[in-house]
Amino acid sequence: MTDVAQRPPAAPGPNDPYGQVPRTAPAQPRPNDPTTFASGFQELPTLPVGDLRPARDAGYSAPRRALRRPWVVQLIAFLILLAVWQYLTVASDRVPSIDNILSFMWTEVTGGSHGGMLVGEFWGPLGLSLQRYAIGLAIGIPAGAVLGLALGTSSWVRGLLNDTTLVLLALPAVVWAFLASLWFGLTSTAPIVAVVLTAIPFVAINFSSGVRSIDPTLMEMSKAYQVSRRNQTVDLLLGGTLPNAFTGVRLAFTTGWNSLLIVEWFGATAGVGWRARFWYDALRYAGFVGWILLFVLLITLLDRLVLRRLERHAFQWNQKPTLSFAEDWGM
Amino acid sequence: MATVLIENLTKIYPPTITYPHRVQALGGVNMSVTGNVFVAVLGPSGSGKTTLLNIVAGVETPTSGSVRAVQDGVPAQVGYVFQEPRLLPWRTVLNNMLYVQDRKSDRSRREAEFYLTMVGLNEVAHLYPSQLSAGMQQRVGIARAFLVNPDILLMDEPFSHMDALTGRSLREYLQRVWLHTRKTALFVTHDVSEAVELADRIVMLRPGGVVFDDIPVNLPRPRHPDDPAVRAVEGEVLRRFDSMEAAVRFGAQAG
Ligand SMILES: Nc1ncnc2c1ncn2[C@@H]1O[C@H](COP(=O)(O)OP(=O)(O)OP(=O)(O)O)[C@@H](O)[C@H]1O
Ligand SMILES: [Mg+2]
Repeated sequence: MTDVAQRPPAAPGPNDPYGQVPRTAPAQPRPNDPTTFASGFQELPTLPVGDLRPARDAGYSAPRRALRRPWVVQLIAFLILLAVWQYLTVASDRVPSIDNILSFMWTEVTGGSHGGMLVGEFWGPLGLSLQRYAIGLAIGIPAGAVLGLALGTSSWVRGLLNDTTLVLLALPAVVWAFLASLWFGLTSTAPIVAVVLTAIPFVAINFSSGVRSIDPTLMEMSKAYQVSRRNQTVDLLLGGTLPNAFTGVRLAFTTGWNSLLIVEWFGATAGVGWRARFWYDALRYAGFVGWILLFVLLITLLDRLVLRRLERHAFQWNQKPTLSFAEDWGM
Repeated sequence: MATVLIENLTKIYPPTITYPHRVQALGGVNMSVTGNVFVAVLGPSGSGKTTLLNIVAGVETPTSGSVRAVQDGVPAQVGYVFQEPRLLPWRTVLNNMLYVQDRKSDRSRREAEFYLTMVGLNEVAHLYPSQLSAGMQQRVGIARAFLVNPDILLMDEPFSHMDALTGRSLREYLQRVWLHTRKTALFVTHDVSEAVELADRIVMLRPGGVVFDDIPVNLPRPRHPDDPAVRAVEGEVLRRFDSMEAAVRFGAQAG
């Protein structure tokens, strides 16, 4: 590809509409030869494909090409973050250093001693939080989906519940967290309820807008062909709702995790949020920051490695051209 | 035997916010189609052709009058080729075909592949509609209409979104397939030569959705658009349109 991109433009020849010099020498004319036309045809100058459609990274030098790889960009962002962190560590004694955090978390994982009566705890709080999270989502996502499908398909349900759902959507996760702790106290129910209540409106609104985005002419088509109820439900309704539905589910995963942390912080006696608060109250900032980082890391990994991949796989049919302005303008 | 019986059919669309007037799309259409005939409904843009097919297909309801589409006394199965392809974007070509079938059995899959081969698209059965050209998408629509083994075939300007070259070869193709199956067909078009090439009978609509003429086309098949006999019928159809327009204009002036 590079040789095509870097080849200097050829001077236009007199009989050459494409401004390209024929690569082969012109054949000797053979009058009265029935094959003349065909062979002459073959010797017409051909346009190299590279001139018609420049390959994506043609024209960029090697370092700039490397800089366009997503993982390189992410690595750079990460290194910058680490550098800023180290600077803050030096500038303030309230910011624990990275090696402090790592060794603190190592003690937690191995159950070693933090000094005094304090011993490390890791799998207990983490497992409990994940369990609460999974139960909450397992209830919240299907409930939100059913509500969303009802909102999308029935104008009666929409009249009844749409505004309510929008209000619930606008409530910040922290409100759910406080309400759940208020109602259920220091139990495992409170964090689960908070996850359920945060997830439902996100899932419902996105399912409902997915249903309503389906092209009505496709419903006409289904009616004309008397398509079975089953096919209409699976292929038209669910198939058409899926892209928006997926967005809703992703949002439920992230916001549900947030509200779980908040409930555990304020109203629980175990879990990731509780452990983070425990070290915060004990003024052990390495522990506090370590648990929060773990929390962020988990949700990021889940989103990147599972949800986004699923999404990309499920929506092959919807692959949009990916040209960006910067690329188009050669930046 | 399939029959379409249309009696005094009127369709008036109510006023909308953007166009606050009632629109008469069909004004008392009477026609009946029985048996293995290919009927073209010919009319200029806005003369109610799509509305007519939608009512026959049961997608739209008439304002007054009645439409019956029956096969041996029971409601007929229609195959409808729409003006646009109308495929589910999130299903592959093959699954779009299977969508109109009740059960996704091996047998229905083979049938779907048979009709895709008929329109020359079996190779792309596993692509999504967005990966096909507009003409290819429309051919999927045609294959889908045949797949349901329709008693009545409804076609709404199926070739109007295609380039002339593809349209021409598909027209010829449709003619061959129709000769083979001889389904009762209602074919809507604004293209005179298309109507003459394909139809046994041409029903002519004028704006307002009024049938003003109905002529038989008794030419041997297969027909070629360049045959002098085909050209002659085309000329006759155009003459009748001209005299209708003159009459309407004259009537408007006189009134
Ligand atoms: N859903 C609708 N609401 C209001 N008016 C409509 C609607 N559909 C069609 N019409 C009107 O009815 C008339 C006939 O429309 P129709 O689509 O049947 O015409 P057509 O003969 O199919 O035209 P074309 O050849 O352009 O497809 C037009 O004046 C149109 O504006
Ligand atoms: Mg139309």
